[in-house]
Formats: sequence, structure tokens, C-alpha cells
Amino acid sequence: MAEIELKTAPADFRFPTTNQTRHCFTRYIEYHRCVAAKGDEVGDCQKFAKYYRSLCPGEWVEKWNEQRESGTFPGPL
Amino acid sequence: MIESQRHSYHLVDPSPWPISGSLGALATTVGGVMYMHPFQGGATLLSLGLIFILYTMFVWWRDVLRESTLEGHHTKAVQLGPRYGSILFIVSEVMFLFAFFWASSHSSLAPTVEIGGIWPPKGIGVLDPWEIPFLNTPILPSSGAAVTWAHHAILAGKEKRAVYALVATVSLALVSTGFQGMEYYQAPPTISDSIYGSTFFLATGFHGFHVIIGTLFLIICGIRQYLGQMTKEHHVGFEAAAWYWHFVDVVRLFPFVSIYWWGGI
Repeated sequence: MAEIELKTAPADFRFPTTNQTRHCFTRYIEYHRCVAAKGDEVGDCQKFAKYYRSLCPGEWVEKWNEQRESGTFPGPL
Repeated sequence: MIESQRHSYHLVDPSPWPISGSLGALATTVGGVMYMHPFQGGATLLSLGLIFILYTMFVWWRDVLRESTLEGHHTKAVQLGPRYGSILFIVSEVMFLFAFFWASSHSSLAPTVEIGGIWPPKGIGVLDPWEIPFLNTPILPSSGAAVTWAHHAILAGKEKRAVYALVATVSLALVSTGFQGMEYYQAPPTISDSIYGSTFFLATGFHGFHVIIGTLFLIICGIRQYLGQMTKEHHVGFEAAAWYWHFVDVVRLFPFVSIYWWGGI
């Protein structure tokens, strides 16, 4: 049985409180800004993707993806 | 009359205005609720109630003026009532506006993820604070200076000059209200544009409403001064109007800094 490595997003000192909503949102925005700046072929942006996928509830990610597609996403992408 | 009473207080004659004011308030509140829910006749009842309240204010205060200026009931002791009452009323207004500024700060200092974590929210056409808001910001304090000029004129017994000063005060106020109305008409955001619109229009709107009330109060003072109803020792109504006016113009500075200037960056 191989060792399965379990990791999650590191603790970010910008978000010290229990409510990590902003942490999830910030990582989501950082990933998409990284992709917009560098393109998603380069692997640099994948670490942000892993962080937001660990932190954010699936429903939020789906909702934000739909908003981005329809142009109504309110965040600073 | 007052010479035959052996105390310096004013025992008011029976009056129908308190009950008529209460009935007006009842009509306004019930009509308001009916208007905002799907009931017939809400708008009518609301407007009737508001008209009734305005009428009650007019006749009640007309009676106060009759009792004081014409019948002479307002001794120094009696004057303390309206004096302290005005101060307490202004304090209550400060608390009212404080609530709206708190709401504005609550929403703008830590914007939620639902509006993108940024302020102003994306897509809001923020007004340039250095255009009309900046123009209005010196106009109101200048009219505050004019009301102080008027006060000094009254204290010095220069009655005509006091009338001119009050005319200046009111004109400046009307100009600034006109500009503000124009700005509201042209502003891209509306009150339903997310929490930005709600907080912006409620805070600036209530301030504007208070400016209009203050202007009306000052107009009445101007008329009374013209008719010679104020003396240099006794002009509590004018002082109340002046205090109210200073409160309005000081308060104007807070939205300029926090909502227009800071909130737009």
C-alpha cells in the first residue's frame, strides 16, 4: 500500500481567522490571474488551483465559473 | 394673563394638535406598510397621513409663535424647554445619521466575496468626488458662516442686515440643493445597484433631506425676522435653526470624505 500524500492549502497569515471564505476567494482569483498572465500550459499556476480546490466548496466554484463565463463575475480578475 | 400667574412657567391651553399629529402618524405608518405590500389604497393613505403631519406641524408651530411672540408667555424659564429640546433633537439626529455611516463603513471596509471583495463594486459608475461633491462642500459651510453673520446682526440689533444675511444663507443652501439634485439625476448608479447604491443614496439622501428641512426652518426665521418678531435678547427659534444648520453642514463633511472620496477610490 503506497503512502498517499495528503496536503491542503498552507496557512496564510493574511487570513488568520476561522472564517476562510476570503482565503478561498483570493486563491481562486490568484489562479485565474496567473492563467491570464502566463497561460495554463505552464505549471506555475497549478499550485493556486490546488489551493482553491482544497479550500472552496464545490458549489461556490461552480457558481463562480458560471459567472466568469457569462461575464458577471464581480471579482478583480 | 401672564401678569396674574405667580410662576414663570407656561401652562399651555388645550390643543387638538397632539392628537391630530398622532392620527397623521398612524395614517402614514399604516399607509406606508400598505403601499409596500399588495394592498389597495396604500399610496392614498400614506400621502394623506404625510399631508396631515405637515399640516399639524404648521398649525402647532404657528400656535407656539402666537403664544410666544404675540402673547408673551415665553419667559427665560420657558425658553429653556425649546433650547434643550432642540439640542436633544439634534443629538438624536446625529445618532440617526451615525447609523447610516456605520452601515456604509460596514459594507465598504470589508467588502464581501459576493460583490467580489472590492469596493466600489465592479461596474458601479462612481461619481468623481472632485466635481459636484467638491463644489457643494464649500457652499454649505459658507452658508453656515452666513447664518453666523445673521446671528451677530440679530444680537447687535441690526435687523435689516440680519434679513440680508438670512437671504444669503438660504440662497446658498438652495444652490447647493439644486446642484445635489442635478447630481442625483445624472448619477449612473441607482439605489438598487447593490449595497453600494443602497448605502450611498440612503446616507446622502437623508443628509439632503435634512438640508431641505433646515432650509425651510431658516426661511421661516427670515420671514419672522423681516416681520420684526425677534429681539436681540430673545430669538430661541433662530438659535435652534442656526444650531441645526451647523449640524447639517458639519455632517456634510463626513460623507464627502468617507463616501465620495474614500469610497470611490
